[in-house]
Amino acid sequence: MSVFVSSIAFGLVAASVLAIASVGFTLQFAVTNVLNLAFAAVMTASAFVAYWFNERGVSIWIATLAAAATGVVLSVFLNRAVYGPFRRRRTTPIGIVIVALGMTLIIEFGTQAIAGPTNVSYRMSQGRTLALGSFRLTLAELAIILLSVVLMLAVHVLIRFTRLGKAMRATASNENLARNSGIRTERIVTITWVISGALCGIAGAVFGMDAGTFGATSTDLFLVLILAAVFLGGPGEPYGAMLGALVIGLGTEISAAVFVSDYKDVIAFVVLLAMLAVRPTGLLGART
Amino acid sequence: MSYYLTTLLVYGGVDVIACLGLSQQFGIAGVTNFAFIIFQAAGAYAAAVLSLPPDSANGAFQTYVGGWQLPFPLPWLGAAVAGGLLALPFSILVGRRLRGDFAAVGLLVTAVMVNLLVTNYRPFLNGDAGLALVPAPLSNHFDPLSTRYQWGYGAVAVLLALLVYLFLRRVTESPWGRTLRAMREDDVVADSLGKNLRSLRTSALVLGGAIAGLSGGVLVGFISLWDPAAWSFAESIVLFAAVIIGGLGNHTGAALGAIVVPLGFLEATRYIPTNFGRPGLVPALQWVAVGVLIVLFLWFRPQGILPERRRRLAGLAEAATPAPAAVPAVALTGRGGSAAAVATGPRPSARSGEVVLEARGLGRSFDGVRAVDGVDVAFAAGQLTGLIGPNGAGKSTLLAMLAGTLPPTEGSIVYRGRDITRLPAYRRARLGIVRTFQLASEFRRLTVLENLLTAIPGQRGDSFTGALLGRRYWGAQEKAAIARAEATLDRFGLAELADLYAGELSGGQRRLVEIMRALMTDPDVLLLDEPMAGVHPLLAHQIGTLLLQLCADGMTIVMVEHELGIMDEFADPVVVMAEGRVLAEGTMASLRSHAEVVEAYLVG
Repeated sequence: MSVFVSSIAFGLVAASVLAIASVGFTLQFAVTNVLNLAFAAVMTASAFVAYWFNERGVSIWIATLAAAATGVVLSVFLNRAVYGPFRRRRTTPIGIVIVALGMTLIIEFGTQAIAGPTNVSYRMSQGRTLALGSFRLTLAELAIILLSVVLMLAVHVLIRFTRLGKAMRATASNENLARNSGIRTERIVTITWVISGALCGIAGAVFGMDAGTFGATSTDLFLVLILAAVFLGGPGEPYGAMLGALVIGLGTEISAAVFVSDYKDVIAFVVLLAMLAVRPTGLLGART
Repeated sequence: MSYYLTTLLVYGGVDVIACLGLSQQFGIAGVTNFAFIIFQAAGAYAAAVLSLPPDSANGAFQTYVGGWQLPFPLPWLGAAVAGGLLALPFSILVGRRLRGDFAAVGLLVTAVMVNLLVTNYRPFLNGDAGLALVPAPLSNHFDPLSTRYQWGYGAVAVLLALLVYLFLRRVTESPWGRTLRAMREDDVVADSLGKNLRSLRTSALVLGGAIAGLSGGVLVGFISLWDPAAWSFAESIVLFAAVIIGGLGNHTGAALGAIVVPLGFLEATRYIPTNFGRPGLVPALQWVAVGVLIVLFLWFRPQGILPERRRRLAGLAEAATPAPAAVPAVALTGRGGSAAAVATGPRPSARSGEVVLEARGLGRSFDGVRAVDGVDVAFAAGQLTGLIGPNGAGKSTLLAMLAGTLPPTEGSIVYRGRDITRLPAYRRARLGIVRTFQLASEFRRLTVLENLLTAIPGQRGDSFTGALLGRRYWGAQEKAAIARAEATLDRFGLAELADLYAGELSGGQRRLVEIMRALMTDPDVLLLDEPMAGVHPLLAHQIGTLLLQLCADGMTIVMVEHELGIMDEFADPVVVMAEGRVLAEGTMASLRSHAEVVEAYLVG
């Protein structure tokens, strides 16, 4: 029982990291219809930028801002300079996915060429451990959860209560109609990629904190988790991604505690394949 | 030096075989199998456990299933079989309804997960350490370390690559290969022409998988070890890069790509000393370069170094002697004959006026919007029924449901007394219900003639086995089919364009290709979605006349059209739809006096 309870704590941290990444990924899909498989590679690159500052004595929490900035720059570059031109040329979704894989190789191994093939760790203090029975969290873990909750609330407020959010939803639902209604969709798309890029960069840094050590190719498996969370909730659905992240985050950690930790990511894979086979629009997505 | 060269030779053969398999799957059939590398892995593991002794034999330093010590060439055969069998479960993912990029993501993730499972689970295939000491083929007869053996191995690998190439040429340059390419261009349209997408994709996966498996078997016999690091998902991307760079849809290009990318780029440089930079820098930069190559090629030369060859078939029928065992409707071909000769089915045609196709309470909602709302309508043989209504009235949705492209959310469809509501589109097409599309739906990278040929049902070479039996088996019938397609082209005045890619035509010409293609299926019910849009008025008039002639021979035609002049002239009766419902039905003349109709549509 205590293993189960303590795995819930791990699961909440994992879900927090995953939620930041999944919401970023799904926002990109919502406004551009692009499955940006290079997302996890951008996370890694951002995590390494944070590491560069961290090595030079900057607190990792401050360095996370640098990771966010890296995520923004790389994501906007990807959309404006790579996916956008291909999309305007009416490249098929499959073609874009292949381009995204090419960009994954470039960013991931570009990072490795610069940072080297060895794994690294952030210098950070985990802080005191707060315990409630066998439910234990370090202060750093609690901070990750809080950060994630704050970001999710911010996304919620943005989407529901601002003009920008309204324009984003309109663009996501029908780009042509939105443009004809006087929304500057080009700008809305770029702003969305700025926001999702920031989420991506932050996700990279907190992924690094949560993982303990990481290398340039560490996020390959994490991409599976992101995809599972996104498809569980429905691609393009921010709230779906939050729900998906919670289910997948808790599911993987609890199954790791109950079964064998080597196979904890398999549950995400099974969920993803089941959703693709049965209901690719996700639990919160529209019926086809 | 000799070892270096023979290694390159073997790797070259293996890479060419693998890329040919992928070329068949991706380049020809358009199945984006990002899990391709696990099929090669399956072949390598299969060959290994088929040729290794039981794992207890060598002190159990490695654990694995099997260990059957089978003699050569059984391990290689087993490798191909393992690759082919592994493909079967994937037919679920490449089924009909899933968006292409979603299916591709599913396959990619599968590759990552299978690698993870094999890495972590040791008893099955020795986990992350992999299998070592795999016996070389015929090692009891020859010394695997001798130079002669190694050169021989290289020669066999190259010979196998050549055989695979010839084999694939044979099955690709056939009616079956043409159908695969049609599916690659537009699967929904291929479906509507009677092509079973699931079975076509599954056979493409199995074929490519078996070839990938063979490549793995050949490789493991030479390098004698195989571990999960050798088949990370990124290796699939390398093969994709090779096929894209070589030329999609061109097997020669794929072979060239295999020599340029995996061999020239990754394997060859592996043996060049890498004394500059820190360790790991050169491999990392190689991966970066593969990524750069993919993106640059897709941007600047998406057709690859050797683009897909245009299949020029026009005129091939000239020398043909009419084959008795020809396509059903071929016998009815007559150049310059009456329009009715274009397609008259063998099926017993209904008496004029008899109801052939009927919608009962048919409805379809999108996100709560009722696009079609409980429509009851019947279409009779020998009539050209017009379907008009303002934009968003549900005309195209109704047509899509009748053809099976879109499943209805309520109601039923009856065809000649049989409930076909749940029948998939390709089955309906085979029954004789064929549609055209509102948006351009020609197979762009098939020639005009090929577009027409694809639609002809019952071709002997339009199956894997048929294609395998070769031109001798299907050639005569193909010539007859070409003659029939050319006669149709003649009638529409497009004979000159036979060998052009359909994607190169003007908008109006494409509409004609679509109508001709639908006629080639020899339909009983023809559902036309704005067939005259963008067609020259004079030609539109000719088409209308032709359609009336087809009706006179018993065909049932339903036509959505906005041009009321055409409706006036050709359609009777005309059904008016508005907001998902049938508003009125009758002759155009009677409808013009119908107040509601005038209000809803005619005045606007």
